[in-house]
Amino acid sequence: MAFFNLQDINVSYDKKNNILEGLNLEIEKGELVSLLGPSGCGKTTTLRVVAGFIEPTHGQFILDDTDMTKVPVHKRNFGLVFQSYALFPHLSVFDNVAFGLKLQKVSKEEIKKRVENILEVCDLKGFEKRFPKQLSGGQRQRVALARALVVEPKLLLLDEPLSNLDAKLRINMRVEIKRLQRKLGITTIFVTHDQEECFSISDKVAVMNGGVIEQYDTPENIYRTPKTEFVARFIGFENFIDLKRKDAHTYIASDGSEFVVDNGCDKEDPKGTIRPEDIQIVSSQDNVENKITGKVIVRTFLGKSYQYELDTPLGVIVVNGSSDHVLQAQDTVCVSLPKGKIVLV
Amino acid sequence: MKNQMKYLLLVPGIILLAVFLVMPLLSIFLPTIFTEAGVTLDSYIQFFQDPLNVRIFIRTLRVALITTIICVFLAVPAAYYMSRCKQSVKGILMTISIFPLLTNSVIRSFAWITILGRNGIINQILTSIGIVEEPIQMLYTEFAIVIGSVYLFLPLMLTTLAGVMDNIENDMMEAAESLGANRLVAFLKVILPLSLPGIIVGSTLVFTGTLSAYTTPQLLGGNSNTVMATFIYEKSMSLGDWEGTSVIAVIMIITTVIAMKVLNTIANRLDKRGGDNA
Repeated sequence: MAFFNLQDINVSYDKKNNILEGLNLEIEKGELVSLLGPSGCGKTTTLRVVAGFIEPTHGQFILDDTDMTKVPVHKRNFGLVFQSYALFPHLSVFDNVAFGLKLQKVSKEEIKKRVENILEVCDLKGFEKRFPKQLSGGQRQRVALARALVVEPKLLLLDEPLSNLDAKLRINMRVEIKRLQRKLGITTIFVTHDQEECFSISDKVAVMNGGVIEQYDTPENIYRTPKTEFVARFIGFENFIDLKRKDAHTYIASDGSEFVVDNGCDKEDPKGTIRPEDIQIVSSQDNVENKITGKVIVRTFLGKSYQYELDTPLGVIVVNGSSDHVLQAQDTVCVSLPKGKIVLV
Repeated sequence: MKNQMKYLLLVPGIILLAVFLVMPLLSIFLPTIFTEAGVTLDSYIQFFQDPLNVRIFIRTLRVALITTIICVFLAVPAAYYMSRCKQSVKGILMTISIFPLLTNSVIRSFAWITILGRNGIINQILTSIGIVEEPIQMLYTEFAIVIGSVYLFLPLMLTTLAGVMDNIENDMMEAAESLGANRLVAFLKVILPLSLPGIIVGSTLVFTGTLSAYTTPQLLGGNSNTVMATFIYEKSMSLGDWEGTSVIAVIMIITTVIAMKVLNTIANRLDKRGGDNA
């Protein structure tokens, strides 16, 4: 059995609607797993079940072969970092970090040693006497992390810990979190709605929607081959085309045109999807696979490139084009959907 | 010119305060230090040389202090409970808790007379089930004054505290629990220190309120438990000793100011938070 195991978890607040429904999640020791999804998908609820703030109406939470489902929060020894950091405003940085150790009745010298050590690891040396109010956002974040880590928790739970930081600090902090997590080898669950953040940091990602996990895989696999339409949309796929299966690698669209794909699927009527940046703009004479002709209806400037919405026989297709050759509205263009980039869901 | 015009807005308030606050205060205070022999503090020294006066003064402080402490202990758990309730429930509880303030303090004190009196409800119950043979003397004691004052001022403590605790985020409690504190420890180590500003403000209100309350000690304390406020009435109305009355009044004002100062100092000492030099 895996180190961390959520088995068939149900959570409901009003006994009618389930917030989580039959949720299963396995995590190996030392892994960093992200729960990714839009707000209201149940990712924070899942984290709160693990932390012990919510008791599931059904199912079990097993950690290291011990049933933790009914263990109260304060006996779980998990490190938690809140979105708001939840630092104790009346305590100094040192006392905030020492809070958990004092409750464990660790000796004074030991507390001093361990707090100083973790503050050094978190790059907070010299801030011991400051109060949370006197710290910047990034420093508070690191104090929250140090406070959670100093008790040597069995699990580290991070609830959107970076969402209150500015863009540059976010990137620094996620590298920092990853470094600390690796160094301490601590099993970690990271809740976020930001896919870039989550892909960059995680060993595995669980994409959640409506209280269930839609796909649980490595970031690479999720990015390249989403399994459901929801996951595909959430991680940036557009252009969903209804197809009918002819054979494993050939599919027919509604207007009768054939699409060739590298990765087939078993479904009879799948949807073919592709990212706007993977579509190539070609000339009408080119002999390329999966060619569609359409008319530009909207042009949006994205900085690096332009995005066009094309009106085609298959509906609206969104395409990214380079800034070298700019198309105008009403221009007629041909595009090619490379067979290796089409994903069937 | 325009900038100076704005001070005109203060004029009505200043006139009001000067006529109805500053002048009366001075007319109380000045006669107590200006005597035929010049400026002296003799009348104050004389006041504290009389053991009866000192006893009344100490009793007043004791009643106010005990009332404040009881109010803190009663209000802290209740206010925390209220602050964690749903908005709709919170509104109802808040209304209930300030309900006693809506009735006149004379009526409220009379209610306590019927409860604590010789033939009052408590004594009737105690004698009928045979716990005591003779009714206990509860009315016209310091105990009765404290009970009445707690009843009178608890809403002030409760509403002040509930307001402060309302602003403590729930994740404070959760953070403490996740670090290994059970609910009680989390409450004592996190919620209580964070509520300290509310406890201090509430205590100031209750302490000064009890110190200067007249009706409750008059009705529930009887003649043998004089406090400063009833003492003033006695001196002025029964004895016509206006100078003595002024002395007591000034002492009460100074005591109140000192009490507030002390509470604020305690608050600043305990509530570091590093806010001032941020």
